Amino acid sequence: MRHTTAPSKRSPGTARPGALAAVWRYMHRNVSLVVGIALLSILVLFVIIGHTFVDTNKSRALSVPALKPPSLEYPFGTDRQGRDLLATMVAGTPLTLRIGFIAGFLGVGIGSILAFTAAYYRGVVDTVIRGIADIGLTVPGLMVLIIIAVSLKEGLTVDQMAVIVASLAWLNPTRTIRAQVLSLRERAFVEVARLSGMSGPEIILKELMPNLLPYLGATLVNAVSNAILASIGLEVLGLGPIDSPTLGMTLYWVNFNAAIINGWWWWWTAPIVIILIVFLGLFFLTVGLDEIANPRLRRSV
Amino acid sequence: MTTVLEARHITKVFGGGLFDRNTTVALENFSIAIDSDRPSITAVVGESGSGKTTLARLLLGLVTPTRGQVCYQGQDLRTMGSAAWGAFRRDVQVIFQDPYEVYNPFYRVDHVLTTPVAKFRLASSRVQARALIEDALMAVGLRSEETLGRFPHQLSGGQRQRVMVARALLLKPRVILADEPVSMVDASLRATILACLRNMTVERGISILYITHDLATAYQISQNIVVLYRGSVAEAGDVELVVKNPQHPYTRLLISSIPVASAERTWTTETVAGPASQAVGTAGCRFADRCPSATSPCQQSPPPLFQTDRHRAASCYLYQSASALSVEEMVKVFAEQASNHPWVYPAARPVMSEDR
Amino acid sequence: MTKPAILQVRGLVVHYHTPLGAVKAADNITFSLKPEERLGLVGESGSGKSTMALAILRMIKPPGRIEAGEVWLDGINVMTLSDEQMRQVRLAQIAMIPQGSMNSLNPVMRIRAQLADVWRDHGVTLTKRELGERVSGLLQSVGLRPEVADMYPHELSGGMKQRACIAIAISLRPKVIIADEPTSALDVVVQKQVMQTLARVQKDLGASVIVVGHDMGLVAQFVDRVGIMYAGKLVELSPVREVFTTPLHPYTRMLIASLPSLEQKGTFRGIPGLPPLLRDLPPGCAFHPRCPSASDLCRNSVPLFIEARPDCWVACHRL
Repeated sequence: MRHTTAPSKRSPGTARPGALAAVWRYMHRNVSLVVGIALLSILVLFVIIGHTFVDTNKSRALSVPALKPPSLEYPFGTDRQGRDLLATMVAGTPLTLRIGFIAGFLGVGIGSILAFTAAYYRGVVDTVIRGIADIGLTVPGLMVLIIIAVSLKEGLTVDQMAVIVASLAWLNPTRTIRAQVLSLRERAFVEVARLSGMSGPEIILKELMPNLLPYLGATLVNAVSNAILASIGLEVLGLGPIDSPTLGMTLYWVNFNAAIINGWWWWWTAPIVIILIVFLGLFFLTVGLDEIANPRLRRSV
Repeated sequence: MTTVLEARHITKVFGGGLFDRNTTVALENFSIAIDSDRPSITAVVGESGSGKTTLARLLLGLVTPTRGQVCYQGQDLRTMGSAAWGAFRRDVQVIFQDPYEVYNPFYRVDHVLTTPVAKFRLASSRVQARALIEDALMAVGLRSEETLGRFPHQLSGGQRQRVMVARALLLKPRVILADEPVSMVDASLRATILACLRNMTVERGISILYITHDLATAYQISQNIVVLYRGSVAEAGDVELVVKNPQHPYTRLLISSIPVASAERTWTTETVAGPASQAVGTAGCRFADRCPSATSPCQQSPPPLFQTDRHRAASCYLYQSASALSVEEMVKVFAEQASNHPWVYPAARPVMSEDR
Repeated sequence: MTKPAILQVRGLVVHYHTPLGAVKAADNITFSLKPEERLGLVGESGSGKSTMALAILRMIKPPGRIEAGEVWLDGINVMTLSDEQMRQVRLAQIAMIPQGSMNSLNPVMRIRAQLADVWRDHGVTLTKRELGERVSGLLQSVGLRPEVADMYPHELSGGMKQRACIAIAISLRPKVIIADEPTSALDVVVQKQVMQTLARVQKDLGASVIVVGHDMGLVAQFVDRVGIMYAGKLVELSPVREVFTTPLHPYTRMLIASLPSLEQKGTFRGIPGLPPLLRDLPPGCAFHPRCPSASDLCRNSVPLFIEARPDCWVACHRL
């Protein structure tokens, strides 16, 4: 492969007049990214506007009359324990998202450190880390989480929930990031860096990491998505923070009170729609980021 | 004679692990010495599977030999301490083949120049560092305002390769290993890089080991040549002799296969040798299975280097009447200064203490 | 008596439409190919030669588009054919050995199966015995042992894989074979063998060959006529002897002068400057920024492709 076309005349440091146009064009190409960001933005707006106009105290039990269908006074209706469901959603959505983000960040953070170390240094370190991750991946995660959640005697807080989910969230990122680093490390510029006197940690941080930022971003979104799913799963089983109005807990009460059979449709519609938006948003975001991260998926001349 | 970098009877075998019965002998009992008193350009020519890339990696200390030693200033690389490695990494530089892969696409090309300056503490201030880099770029014929601040994909292959040469120069090395430096660069831009490399030797007294499969550029740039075939030396010596009057049957095959860019048809002769067999671990001469002149001693033991001229040796039993050289004596046949060379080498460059 | 041309390309224009502008990959290319003739299309990267090869076979994919031009293959204008008709024409009438093809052999299929695929796709039905015979014959014609039919690509060497690709290309006995960089990854000794195989195959079929590449030496030793491409245009088209003894275009002259010879050592003479970006071509002659004899006329008007000497075509004002 030959590389000899002349350099473009613009130097990269100066601001390009076509930058905004380029962003607009890219948005047309990478529709998934735009859709994902749009969906998540809707949620964020919902939460922010909600917090200003809605009294979140009404998300606590026994604050409003029970089992009222959606009306002007209670747009999302109320549940059997006297919670204003709009307030519950406004208060609970950020909590669920928070669990996801904390767990996702922790998982990918730990996973990255382990992955880079294993892939760069190879040898015994690699075998040990890979071995632990592989064994961990074969154990059914939900079961482990249930056992951990059940064995904690005191009531769970949202943050404790996040840590529990994070305890298993690092396994998959370790494997996938390691694979990426393994191939990256064979590239010639890593050898040049070594010959220029850079040490191992320096090479990891300055040469390898920057090239993987898009991939790490995509992995992070994926991890957040999985963490939210895991936390909702635990909560629906009743193993979550009982007093918090998280989305999963709402679904737990839906189940507990047989809301579906009883025909209180507004109780389970609201959380499910929000959960759908969360997952669709994260999914499209992942697909969009994947396109950035994986140059082979990019459609170009 | 100060030997900067030396390979002593190095052999490199790949494979042969616990579950892998296929072993490949990439390089067998090879010796070469690069000295810094009389800087010159030596070409190592071979096709794929000849071992030339393995040789480059061994000499750089990126892989360790299965047998034998690679020595820097007389000291085996494996026994060197970190201070010696620092000096080694400054004295021996490399230019790789692919002018794109050697750059980290995340950074501008400056990164590849500023890193060695920082790591080897070549400058005490940013201003001084910038001056050093600009000097190096000028030495390879590049203007800093056209080069610095750009990303790798914004430069041509030829420019990228010259930046790599500039990087090599920053550390004021004594030896540069150039591994196929122009094979991935367009034909019209190759000449500039080759001229640049030649200047390194002529003006700065840097010895260059030019590793390639392209005999024509090797001939143009080098003084002495080593022809490798499947890990062993087929022929070595003054490049004029080896190219104009090849003696080893493999060298003859190689030269007759090169398509010459002229109106004269040289390809009309049918190739006399057969295809290379995939057989591993032949006992005799590596070329025996393809050689038109192979006889029974050729199958039994590999021929030593026979010195057929003052400045040439060929490892072929056809010349067994000549005196045999041992492997490390191969460098003796290297011409020091032939009279028909268009350029003259400088006298020995003394190593100044300020240079380090 | 000159035989009528088997392939005639007239005014072929191919543009790639990128967000940053139209890349003029091939601009008004005109040439013809006689039966049993060997033509070399030489150019450096960015010269448009691979685009040409793909365009002749109508294999240009969006955002590339054939904007104008005709390609007459044995009296039929290939541009007017339907997609299905074109598919039939490919391989049966005009075959291509794409760049890096030895790496695009299906790694999980034996060579025999890959050849059988070709025949099946073109509606040729064969009994098992006929298939075996044809495969053997085909492999033998490219110098491969019959046992190769049962091997997988990874068991073959580079030269053998390339010869297998030649076998696939000639399996339907095409009239024109286009080889795009057929030997770029091969060693020099194997390269000669593969090219000699191609020559033999061409003679047996009575076909014409277009070799697209950047290696002037390879072209000098193999072809009858050479076309030099620069910045998407054909700048010179002459018999091989004329190109190497008296090149007409300054680019050809400087290119040949920059090639290292094995005859004697000399100074290194590269061509200063860089080839232009195909979407940002300079006005007038595309070579004028690098040309030592550029004049005002060169800077302002595009030179026409004219026959300066019998059978020698060149696009240059300064003759």
